[in-house]
Amino acid sequence: MALSGMRGLSVFISDIRNCHNKEQERLRVDKELGNIRTRFKNEKGLSHYEKKKYVWKMLYIHMLGYDVDFGHMETVSLISAPKYPEKQVGYIVTSCLLNENNDFLRMVINTVRNDIIGRNETYQCLALTMVGNIGGKEFSESLAPDVQKLLISSSCRPVVRKKAALCLLRLYRKNPDVVNIDGWSDRMAQLLDERDLGVLTSVMSLFVSLVSNNAEAYWNCLPKCVRILERMARNQDIPQEYTYYGIPSPWLQVKAMRALQYFPTIEDPSARRALFEVLQRILMGTDVVKNVNKNNASHAVLFEALALVMHLDAEKEMMSQCVALLGKFIAVREPNIRYLGLENMSRMLLVTDVQDIIKRHQAQIITSLKDPDISIRRRALDLLYGMCDVTNAKEIVEELLQYLNTAEFAMREELALKAAILAEKFAPNLSWYVDVILQLIDKAGDFVSDDIWYRVVQFVTNNEDLQAYAAAKAREYLDKPALHETMVKVSAYLLGEYGHLLAQRPSCSPKELFTIINDRLPTVSSSTVAIIISAYAKILMHTQPPDAGLQQQILAIFKKHESYIDVEIQQRAVEYFELSRKGPALADVLAEMPKFPERESALLKKAEDAEVDTAEQSAIKLRSQQQSSSAIVVAAQPPVNGPAPAANHLTLVKMPSQNIAEESNVIHEETAVEAPKENGAPVEVQRNVEIITEPAPVSKVEPPASRPASQADLLADLLGPLAIEGPPAAVEQTPAQGLEANQSPVGDLALATLEDQSNSVQPIVNVEEKFNILCTKDSGVLYEDPNIQIGLKAEWRAHHGRLILFLGNKNTSPLLSLRALILPPSHFKVELSSVPDTIPPRAQVQIPVEVTNLRASRDVAVLDFSYKHGAALVNAKLRLPIVLHKFLQPITLSPEDFFAHWKTWNVQSLKVQEVVRGVKPLPIPEMASLLLSLHLAVTPGLDTNPNNMVACATFFSETTNAALCLVRVETDPQDRSQLRLTVASGDQNLTFELKEYIKEHLIDIPRARVAPPAAPQQAQLPPAAPATYNDPGAMLAGLL
Amino acid sequence: MGIRFVLLVNKQGQTRLAQYYEHLSLDERRALEGEIVRKCLARTDQQCSFVEHRNYKVVYRRYASLFFLVGVDNDENELAILEFIHLLVETMDRHFGNVVSSNTPMIQYCEDTLT
Repeated sequence: MALSGMRGLSVFISDIRNCHNKEQERLRVDKELGNIRTRFKNEKGLSHYEKKKYVWKMLYIHMLGYDVDFGHMETVSLISAPKYPEKQVGYIVTSCLLNENNDFLRMVINTVRNDIIGRNETYQCLALTMVGNIGGKEFSESLAPDVQKLLISSSCRPVVRKKAALCLLRLYRKNPDVVNIDGWSDRMAQLLDERDLGVLTSVMSLFVSLVSNNAEAYWNCLPKCVRILERMARNQDIPQEYTYYGIPSPWLQVKAMRALQYFPTIEDPSARRALFEVLQRILMGTDVVKNVNKNNASHAVLFEALALVMHLDAEKEMMSQCVALLGKFIAVREPNIRYLGLENMSRMLLVTDVQDIIKRHQAQIITSLKDPDISIRRRALDLLYGMCDVTNAKEIVEELLQYLNTAEFAMREELALKAAILAEKFAPNLSWYVDVILQLIDKAGDFVSDDIWYRVVQFVTNNEDLQAYAAAKAREYLDKPALHETMVKVSAYLLGEYGHLLAQRPSCSPKELFTIINDRLPTVSSSTVAIIISAYAKILMHTQPPDAGLQQQILAIFKKHESYIDVEIQQRAVEYFELSRKGPALADVLAEMPKFPERESALLKKAEDAEVDTAEQSAIKLRSQQQSSSAIVVAAQPPVNGPAPAANHLTLVKMPSQNIAEESNVIHEETAVEAPKENGAPVEVQRNVEIITEPAPVSKVEPPASRPASQADLLADLLGPLAIEGPPAAVEQTPAQGLEANQSPVGDLALATLEDQSNSVQPIVNVEEKFNILCTKDSGVLYEDPNIQIGLKAEWRAHHGRLILFLGNKNTSPLLSLRALILPPSHFKVELSSVPDTIPPRAQVQIPVEVTNLRASRDVAVLDFSYKHGAALVNAKLRLPIVLHKFLQPITLSPEDFFAHWKTWNVQSLKVQEVVRGVKPLPIPEMASLLLSLHLAVTPGLDTNPNNMVACATFFSETTNAALCLVRVETDPQDRSQLRLTVASGDQNLTFELKEYIKEHLIDIPRARVAPPAAPQQAQLPPAAPATYNDPGAMLAGLL
Repeated sequence: MGIRFVLLVNKQGQTRLAQYYEHLSLDERRALEGEIVRKCLARTDQQCSFVEHRNYKVVYRRYASLFFLVGVDNDENELAILEFIHLLVETMDRHFGNVVSSNTPMIQYCEDTLT
């Protein structure tokens, strides 16, 4: 076509085809690129025709996979060419070579617009196609109204309107504001009346996108969709060119049914009846035919119909009809249909009432788990995981374990995790659970994450009946010649803790236990060595009466490890060695591990986390949101009512008293203190106790229990999957304590009271305090109320910042009408990613925020945030910790550099000095760390006076780039409540803002002042502050 | 919902034509194509036409020595895409006589029928 007459291009293409190898081809391409480059560079007056020739070559080279990073300007300029051949090349090559962010595109917006509103149909099509492919935000803003006009115009031919619809779809995706909802719902309804099926298909694509974001606005279009489906189903008025193998446009049918799935329900009885008639016809009338294409097309429609039936929650009869169809599909030979059968059955699990019917197909699904096709096996695994409950858990989990032997590596980790979760959730009895996990570790040790074995240890520790059984099992495994290291860890731990319970059994004497564990010692890594050493200490303690030989052996090992390369092991060895000489006191010190506080399974959290993706809104997720909850979450809730058997949900044994559960942060300290007290043992033992009662693996599982709620724990809770549960009982508790309340009676109670207080939802954390914490840290909780927890994680690089807001729904019902808006002060540029409208139950969404610092300022950005819970609208305005010092980076300067800058900035506004009164009286080191917390690096030695301090930092902003800031603080040893502050930098505004900022932090502002030290100073403070910075010179005199 | 990319790959695994509907850098494309081609070309006729990869679902179909691979969102109607490929091939066949050489505008045009 357009290539004819361009000899150069034909020659080039045949040259390339004649190349014998890649190297030759590359040389030829490089030569041609060089040629084009010089032409573009040297000959200013290239005609459009010549440009066209080169641009075609560039496209060809691009298609060969070479990077063409020049000539974009020439390409774009062809769009303005008056003749069709050149214009066509311009449009086509532009949409291939350039992406929406390219700056050259901006230059042609006007030309493109002229082509769109012009009379030439061909030009209109070219322009619409290009914008539909690479149009970005700017195109949206300037072209959307014209494209809309074309779409609804009655004078345009269908070919143009088709393209206009798709072009508008692209523009809408780039910028949803281009479609004004009020006006469009009526127009959309009109457009859906379209007779031309080509236009209708394109319009339907646009419509699907519109309703996926806002179904409520388009209620009036719903009957139209149903009418289109009726028209298709009855094959009325369908032209030949829109039937595909005898089926009226299958794609349009699929799209129309997809659009209907975005509406929560269909209330209009006549529309509902008509739709069900169509669906029934599709369900019944789809037969398997020989022609592959026809078969695929009709089944594409059928599967979409199935999805719609599920979504509409049809009558039971129709549902079971669907399940029956799916049951048929998963047994057929055709792999595509089998795959889709399994996939759709998994979706069906979200619908209530059909689980039992699906269970009938369990055997068939298990067969699919052994299918030669990994895609099918994956679906089968997903489905089995979803359909598992108390009745079939045993069978399914054992099947999964068996499959583990043959599964490919890519699937093993997922498989192991799923098996472990199912075993935990639905174990018929506890010993079975222990069996399963131990088998799992044995068969797939490499794929068993630490969480899995920590969890089994927790269960055994908390269930006394289980301890001897688990120890015996561990003993059995140690007889195997080859053993995975994780298994060695579990076995050593269990035998150390509970080996003594086996004393009566054959070959389970302490000595034998020691020997069999000791065989493994030389082959394991240091983390396992640590566990084994602790196990020895416990074995030693349990050996009654003492066995001198054994003691000698163990002590020798302790002695040997006292110089081990790993410090942790060294410490254990030294301490156990010393302890073992304490005699009977040892028994108290090394007492059994206390029970673990009740907590949510880390595995379940992991799984939930995997389920909840980013804020992406896809149809399946929307659908599952509209159901009450997804399968796994339903199962994770404790059975509130109904005669569920006690064993159907493994929970850790309740804590001895509620009291301790609430104070679980200090539980270890409590046991530690009690032990020595009873025996009157010296206090120094206490330190050892803490170490011994917390072997390394356990302290990893239990961060909140092993340390008092430090910041690190808050962090762990935040960055791990969000703590999703009923609100904590007591408002004053820290979030870490709230965690423990999960699944305990307290948790349920708190849930119940929630309903009453829903009208006035108050934050349950001190927002002010959280803000202050986040000013010095980069991650933590920003806000929390009974329904939602907002966490924040930030990264700072020069003048850019990236924040991620983690919004976690703590309830079992979705949070609706979510709105988040950032009101940035003028010195920031803030980009907030789109916020989903809904947070599904117990899910977490992440909202990234990009911040660019333009210049120094002390103003703070505010997050205006609201959501609906039930009928109550909750609104909160939260300050975001994007504060000045986040853009500071500490830097150390040599004295020469420092003084050089210090002197050059000896200008009034660049260097500012102020006497600050009423500061927090702090000793010098504390003052230094305060400055350091503001990212100002204190450089000792620069100022010879020990009462003074000098600090430096680099400030990043878009206007100043990296700007050096120097700070000097001179304190008065006589009166710590005043000091002289000098700030210097190369920028007037920065100097002033930084000085004020530091001052704010130094001054003892009222909220921080708990017990004012001296009353007279306070009285002095308010007038002092405004006066000081107006006239620094006068104040200087006052100080000296 | 929507098509993310369309790839035409020969039996040797070389990409003959690629059209992306979201912006990926050349390196990202190369890596993605490599991974997908490796996964899909190793499959037999007895296996299904859908492969899950990263956050895409790849629907593919083979015509003689040419593979058509379409990357879609996870919730797309797979069979509809499978037949879209066939429709594309039929259209190209009619337009070019035989699917040996083609040009991108044509693909884009066909693409418009489904998006």
